[in-house]
Amino acid sequence: MAPPTASSHRPRKKRKPDASNGTITLNNTTKQEQPAFPLVAFFWPARTANLSQWITIPIILMVVFLFRWCTSLWPYSGYQKPPMHGDFEAQRHWMELTIHLPMTHWYFHNLEWWGLDYPPLTAYHSWMLGQIGHLVNPSWFALYQSQGIDDANLKVFMRATVIASEYLVYIPAAVLCVRQLAKLHNVNAWESSVALTAILMQPATILIDHGHFQYNTVMLGFMLATTASMLAGRPLWSCIFFVATLGFKQMALFYAPAVAAYLAGICLFPRLDIPRLFGIAIITLVSFGALFLPLLLGTAFDTYRSVPLPTDAVLPPPLMSALPSTVSEKAWYYPYLIQLTQSIHRIFPFARGLFEDKVANLWCALHTSGVHKLHNYDATVLSRAALALTLTAILPPCLLIFLKPRKDLLPYALATTAWAFFLCSYQVHEKNVLLPLLPMTLLLATESGLKAATRAWVGYANTLACWTMFPLLVRDELRIPYFVLTGLRTYLMGLPPCSISAYTVSAEEGGLSLVSKLIHLSTYAGMVAWHFAEAFVPAPAEKPDLWVVANVCLGAGGFGVCYLWCLWRLVEESGVLSDLGITKKKRMDEKKMQ
Amino acid sequence: MAEHYPTLMQTAVAATALKILLWPAYKSTDFEVHRNWLAITHSLPLKEWYYETTSEWTLDYPPFFAYFEWLMSQAAVFADTAMLQVKNLDYDSWQTVHFQRATVMITESVLIYALYLFIQSSPAASKKQSHAAALSILLSPGLLIIDHIHFQYNGFLYGVLILSIVLARKPSGLLASGVAFAALLCLKHIYLYLAPAYFVYLLRTYCLGPRSIFDIRLANCIKLGVAIGIVAALAFGPFVYYGQMPQVLSRLFPFSRGLCHAYWAPNVWAMYSFSDRVLIYAAPYLKLPVNYDAVNSVTRGLVGDTSFAVLPNITPRMTFVLTLAAQIPALAKLFFQPTWDNFVATLTLCGYASFLFGWHVHEKAILLVIIPFSLLALKDRRYLGAFRPLAVSGHVSLFPLLFTAMEFPVKVVYTILWLIVFLLAFERLAPASEKPRVFLLDRFSLLYIAVAIPLIAYCSLVHQLLFGARFEFLPLMFISSYSAVGVVGSWIGFLVVFFTS
Repeated sequence: MAPPTASSHRPRKKRKPDASNGTITLNNTTKQEQPAFPLVAFFWPARTANLSQWITIPIILMVVFLFRWCTSLWPYSGYQKPPMHGDFEAQRHWMELTIHLPMTHWYFHNLEWWGLDYPPLTAYHSWMLGQIGHLVNPSWFALYQSQGIDDANLKVFMRATVIASEYLVYIPAAVLCVRQLAKLHNVNAWESSVALTAILMQPATILIDHGHFQYNTVMLGFMLATTASMLAGRPLWSCIFFVATLGFKQMALFYAPAVAAYLAGICLFPRLDIPRLFGIAIITLVSFGALFLPLLLGTAFDTYRSVPLPTDAVLPPPLMSALPSTVSEKAWYYPYLIQLTQSIHRIFPFARGLFEDKVANLWCALHTSGVHKLHNYDATVLSRAALALTLTAILPPCLLIFLKPRKDLLPYALATTAWAFFLCSYQVHEKNVLLPLLPMTLLLATESGLKAATRAWVGYANTLACWTMFPLLVRDELRIPYFVLTGLRTYLMGLPPCSISAYTVSAEEGGLSLVSKLIHLSTYAGMVAWHFAEAFVPAPAEKPDLWVVANVCLGAGGFGVCYLWCLWRLVEESGVLSDLGITKKKRMDEKKMQ
Repeated sequence: MAEHYPTLMQTAVAATALKILLWPAYKSTDFEVHRNWLAITHSLPLKEWYYETTSEWTLDYPPFFAYFEWLMSQAAVFADTAMLQVKNLDYDSWQTVHFQRATVMITESVLIYALYLFIQSSPAASKKQSHAAALSILLSPGLLIIDHIHFQYNGFLYGVLILSIVLARKPSGLLASGVAFAALLCLKHIYLYLAPAYFVYLLRTYCLGPRSIFDIRLANCIKLGVAIGIVAALAFGPFVYYGQMPQVLSRLFPFSRGLCHAYWAPNVWAMYSFSDRVLIYAAPYLKLPVNYDAVNSVTRGLVGDTSFAVLPNITPRMTFVLTLAAQIPALAKLFFQPTWDNFVATLTLCGYASFLFGWHVHEKAILLVIIPFSLLALKDRRYLGAFRPLAVSGHVSLFPLLFTAMEFPVKVVYTILWLIVFLLAFERLAPASEKPRVFLLDRFSLLYIAVAIPLIAYCSLVHQLLFGARFEFLPLMFISSYSAVGVVGSWIGFLVVFFTS
């Protein structure tokens, strides 16, 4: 591993052909090169043949397509589960409501039956898919008459929309992002393809989007595009993409502090760059404007036609009544303000609880494990505590990326911030773990990313994340895909429980330190033991949730470790320790805790 | 010795993952067929197996396969006992589906083992090629579509076939090879089509001396005869004892079926039927007599008697004679040059002959050609030239087996992926030939592969947009005729290569 230098400029050095990024090892007995883990073996023929990217990338895309599509053969959330069904029904319902109702009704329509509570881009996306679906078969999206339908062809259509959206957004963005990282870190094309496959075979994303049913990859894809633009040195594009990310799912706020800190940082360091600062501000505002423009145009149209709001609409929206000055109903901008405040009110449901269901974060672990019961506290106290803790946790990464806005630090900063939000913030779902996983998994495409240490840490976070979602996946009857996809991924990456080869590498050769090895292996042992216990030992009658609680606690602990690791790596890579004189320059990688 | 990557095991693990994900996929009536056989063999005494008719899917495989089902039914008890009741027609609880799908995958390990032996037994110079060929068989879209979606046990059966072929590579394994093949025949009698090649090869290399054909090695003859006799006795003995042989044989060889299967297999008869269809419209101009009773029956091609409107009708006897006639030249060559390569080539040609001229051929039988051919495809570039159109047409011809929307992307993407990966790999690995290549054949295969893309697009999408549900036989007929051209083309190419080398 090259010693990280303090300057943002990294000298380009031509790699020797045998210098590997962790993909190739030497066989001890025969002294011949061999793949370091099974995924590399599948790329072995491409290495000797020196295949062009025009062939390898389509092949990778076809392979990952097959695994995604075959996962979607399985049931989706809420399949034949009245009365509420699940996310599948929610997405289908949004399609029918957007194509059948006037735009002013979108954010007012019945909240009880999966009311639209995502930002406008999701609404437009639903509208577009709904229009296509309506062409294919109108009965799938007949408002009020199609609630909870489970037509087999509808499933094909809906599954196809997820995959099509992913291949239009996430996949190209991932390819670009990996290419930018390869350029930045001087990784050769062959090893980047290995990393790209490893990133695209993330089991958590496949299981949630193609098994459980959601469109996370659209949001994650926009985030990848944001990252790729930042890496490519195009901050203005990154603003547009980040607004799209936020505009698709408000959960992208997990990334927002780091993105903002980085963008602010590049305007101030190494020297003040006023035009860039203004450019970023203006482009961001314009993008937000563009995001809400269709909604406002729709409102203008409905006002012109004098379409009334739904009769059950609560007027004015709570957010509007909180405005300092009251707005007259006669004002020309009144309907627009109503729409804006109502949509924001829907998107950010402040009234909901601290955490939902069982999620492996700090609050849920604290509460359910019985260490400290939280339901005695007032909701405002809890939300303030959550806010304070989150701010504390995101402060170090954001400060670092602000002071040292270097491209190679970006994945670490994004991952650390997102982990902080996941662990400490308010109103978190178990599926939100996909957000911190994405930048962390991107590390595979960086320098030494496929060496034992990083590979083991990324694999650890991914496996743990899937494992914490197991109770959710069991409800969706996705037990078998869970085992297959996580098992395959750990096998391909040469990680536990399939292989411990990554843990036999010594710390000097790019392996993990003893402490990390102990943490990892004990967590893996815990996960395996938990699966056996959950399958064969019924929970005691007085504690029916015992296994779920055990899952939450171990998961929260593991994620906490992931947060600390990302933060540590960020601190270490940024070189701030040597700046402060805590460690000696250049020599610090010897003491590194991997 | 350098290991080749990805290894067989690594590939098998990744393929297994994908195959498990396919468990909830569409399954054909063959799934119910095999469930019924599990039930029959588990709940009825042996003497009723071949008489049971509760389900329309009666037991029509030879006894070893019935024993095989019996063996699996012992494990099925732990999955779901309801599947083992003969009366439970069309029973498919998830336990049943998972159990039966799992048995397909577990028994496929015979194929993996056979391929492992195939790589091990190939000479060092061609190990790399053998490795690629083995992977291509393991990942074959044919096996994926037929076994893991449609539902059959071909992975296991072809595993036994390859095992037998590989055993025949060394003189010490010839007896075992003969026994394995005899056992295979008692598992599924479709392999009878390959029996002539085995007969000639074993006769020449095992029963006759290497120098002269008049040097009869009596001890070997007796050993082989006794061994095969034991296999046959194990299989058919109980039924001979109960005096049920006529019933068993009538189940195994139902000649009452039609010339063409429900979907036309891409063989000579498909082209024949196609010509007949065309001739119906041309007949008035050519002043040919038309049999109007037949006009409305051929297009549906349903199981039953097929009659032709213009062309003369075909009898089972004619197909039998044609099949044998097509096999004889290759057998003659094998008889005089009994090398292992010639043996595999003859097996391939026997497969071709039976597929092209056989009676009531299923499109699935194309594996009978593709799999032995795969073992030879990397011998040199000339063989590869003949293999290419077969790889495309053989697999495309399987597409109509799966007609559900959900499985459509799987079959198309998987097949295209396989074709890209393996045709590229084979292209790089096949050594140049000593003999000049047949220029025309190369151009033919390129053109042929290029036509596949618009054809698949038309059949799967454009046709439905243009005509809706009308003329639904048209895409089937196009695919079948297109594939028939490919299979026949590759057959001719292979004949040229085989007889000129």
